[in-house]
Amino acid sequence: MTRRVQITKGILWFITGLAAAVTIIRFTRGLGTTTALSDTTPWGLWVGFDVMGGVALAAGGFVIGAIAHVFKRDKYHHAVRPAILTALLGYAAVAVGLLFDLGLPWNIWHALIFWNPQSPLFEVAWCVMIYLTILFLEFLPVFLERTRFQALYRILLRMQLPLIILGISVSTLHQSSLGTLLLIMPFRLHPLWYTPHLPELFFVSAICLGLSMVIFESSVTAWLYKRKPNTDMLSGLARFAAGALALYLAFRLFDLWHHDKIGLAFEGSFEARLFWFEMGLSTIVPLVLFLIPKVRRSHTGVFIASSMGLMGFLLYRIDASGLAQVWATRTDYFPMWTEFAVSFGIVSFFALIYLFIQEHFPVEHEILDEEEKWRQRQLFVLPRFDRLTQVWLGDPTFASRRVYSLVFVVALVLGLTSTPWQPLVEASPVQRARGGDILKVGFPIGTVAFPHAEHVKRLGKEACGTCHHLHLPGDVGTPCSECHSDLYLPTRLFDHYRHVGLLGGNPSCERCHPQEGPRVGTTAKKCSSCHEKDMMAENQVVKTFEYLTAPGLSQAAHGICIECHKREATNPEWGKPDLFRCATCHRTPVSHGDVVLEASLEEIEDEVLQ
Amino acid sequence: MIDNPCILNDVTRCIGCEECVAACKKINGMPVEDGPPRLGHSKDGLSATRWTSIFRRPDEVSVRKQCRHCFEPACVSVCPVGALIKTPEGPVIYDKAICMGCRYCMMGCPYGIPHYEWNSINPSVRKCILCYDKLKSGEIDKPACVNACPKEATTFGSQEEMLAEARRRLAAEPEKYIQHIWGEHEVGGTSVIYISHVDLGFLAWQDKKYLGTEPLPDRTWAALKKVPLEFLGMASFMTATWWVIDRRMRLAAEAPGEKVTEAPETTEDEGGER
Repeated sequence: MTRRVQITKGILWFITGLAAAVTIIRFTRGLGTTTALSDTTPWGLWVGFDVMGGVALAAGGFVIGAIAHVFKRDKYHHAVRPAILTALLGYAAVAVGLLFDLGLPWNIWHALIFWNPQSPLFEVAWCVMIYLTILFLEFLPVFLERTRFQALYRILLRMQLPLIILGISVSTLHQSSLGTLLLIMPFRLHPLWYTPHLPELFFVSAICLGLSMVIFESSVTAWLYKRKPNTDMLSGLARFAAGALALYLAFRLFDLWHHDKIGLAFEGSFEARLFWFEMGLSTIVPLVLFLIPKVRRSHTGVFIASSMGLMGFLLYRIDASGLAQVWATRTDYFPMWTEFAVSFGIVSFFALIYLFIQEHFPVEHEILDEEEKWRQRQLFVLPRFDRLTQVWLGDPTFASRRVYSLVFVVALVLGLTSTPWQPLVEASPVQRARGGDILKVGFPIGTVAFPHAEHVKRLGKEACGTCHHLHLPGDVGTPCSECHSDLYLPTRLFDHYRHVGLLGGNPSCERCHPQEGPRVGTTAKKCSSCHEKDMMAENQVVKTFEYLTAPGLSQAAHGICIECHKREATNPEWGKPDLFRCATCHRTPVSHGDVVLEASLEEIEDEVLQ
Repeated sequence: MIDNPCILNDVTRCIGCEECVAACKKINGMPVEDGPPRLGHSKDGLSATRWTSIFRRPDEVSVRKQCRHCFEPACVSVCPVGALIKTPEGPVIYDKAICMGCRYCMMGCPYGIPHYEWNSINPSVRKCILCYDKLKSGEIDKPACVNACPKEATTFGSQEEMLAEARRRLAAEPEKYIQHIWGEHEVGGTSVIYISHVDLGFLAWQDKKYLGTEPLPDRTWAALKKVPLEFLGMASFMTATWWVIDRRMRLAAEAPGEKVTEAPETTEDEGGER
């Protein structure tokens, strides 16, 4: 067990721990609390990265299967088992990711019995289920190789070629159907991405991504376990990758040219820049790198090129399922950290399983044998002691397990303490809620017309206190927004900083708080003990200022207005039976967003004042 | 209930009083107050508890938004489990018992109509169902929103009647209206149609762009119908390739004195297939 492996596993366990914390909150508080998803952005990072990206990352399995078994390139046989393992775990990760993303994950099995063959997602779901089974059967021999189930092992080996061909066919279907998913959204997806050939593009890009992933992963495992990289195989794969990338580039550009959309790429818009960034990262730069023979033979070279391709094609999936739709939806969605934690946590968890299987099963024969010898030798190595406490930590494997557990638990606690427990709410600050005639408040309620003069005339000056709670010094009528500063959210009523400043800083604490005991809001004096003169008439709603939070303006105003309106609607003196209807006050048209036409507002004010 | 029920919205008559919203909330048992808006909520006011809303434009034009109940609904076609159902009469309804919460319907809808109960741990997709259950049982003869409208800005009848009425109004006051019936042909036709004196392109996701008359499900079906062929094609192509290469290699191995050569390197084997 090298230090490298230990540190890598430690980091992976940490991310898994964070994800575990988010998992608890996701399944107890719902999607609203753990994601920034909204009605304008129903699909976010979990679909773009975990599902769309995950399926494509696992494409290495069928590509290498085709190269090694169908085209009979024997030198790639070494890559088959790791690639199939990646695919198997990748698809399992997709399934787990789906459980997080689905609103009703316990209904996931409905895809088995409720069929809608018209739906691309139905096809993807079935192909993924079938392919997961095929991958399991393809990989089962690795588990069985050194057991006593040799009969089953031989049967599975004989079935390998048909399984691989079946796997390739099924993969072709669902890799392309991921593109079909987006064909229904011509009005969301930017034309640089939307094309009737999305299925084909997704298929070719899956091959590119699969090859990049195989190269990336064998370089990483070689680095991690300090093995000698199989340069011959890697450079061969790099050649395949170059071919696939060239095909993808040609296809994508031809498609744009064919549909007369190439001009959009030079518009200088956000989408155009995103397009070139994505193309550069995914295709152009890796293609150039892979075409240089020197780079292809160098371990670092293929690693850099393949990781760029990897990120680039993941970006392609994320663009198509999200970023390239922003131009239509105008959403300001950005994933919350909890979404990142789950996405990376699933990857980390399955990476740990990958490493475990790599270490304990003959995924790569010769290497496992060597490591087995090393492990045997380790048994005779001197026991390790913790440097600080001088406590014996057990044998190296056991000692590192303890470290991992600790890291996991720390991350779990960290995650639980820093995760939000309440759903995200958009603040809707009240723009002008003075006791004037027009209240400008948030969407969709719009602007409220309030005939102040009429109320004063009718109810008389004594009645001010029915609505007005307080008079601040030097203020004629305190605006509602002084306390109810948000339309829906409860807000803090008491400005502590202001009081501290006005009363002269720290030495003045005792003017409100008790000398002994906790100095918190509940133990402080009532506001009225100082602000006696600021109180209004007898019939005031709030007589003592004992509330620390004010409800949202909507709730507060509705409480006051509607009750009175309901009462007065039946009053024959007014003859206004519709007084309690929403439209009586909520009638001024406001715009889409926050721009309110000032002209129309003035007109309304005039009308109201008359 | 009548076949092909249809709602005609006349934008010129709407005064934006939101009586329809109140009636909709009442008949569907929704709370009057929507509660705090979620970050990134729809700006048109639709939400999981508000299935119809009045979209107010800066030019003081009020447009009522609701589910269009398309003839060939994208949401129904994309639902992998068929939780959204196009009823034989016309309205598109939702079955919570089948839904698994993938929210593909919300992505597929060109008008952004289905909304989600984000804050629930047992969430449903929510949208107008054209009062289907109540109309079906004969409890009411018109949807609640139509009943509530004081200005007859929204009227209810069969598709043919409503189209005829819309044409009549367009012909009666040609200078008042734009000569277009929104929903007559858009995305294959919808059961909620609009006539207006302002352009209503903004009701779809992209501003100022007509939706085209092609039903959206046709676009995915064009790709999906090739699936069996693709599967068989790929499987037979791979088997044939394997057979050829295998045979060639065996022959080469059997031929005396000849070196075993690999087939020439080609990189486009997979990509070239499609």
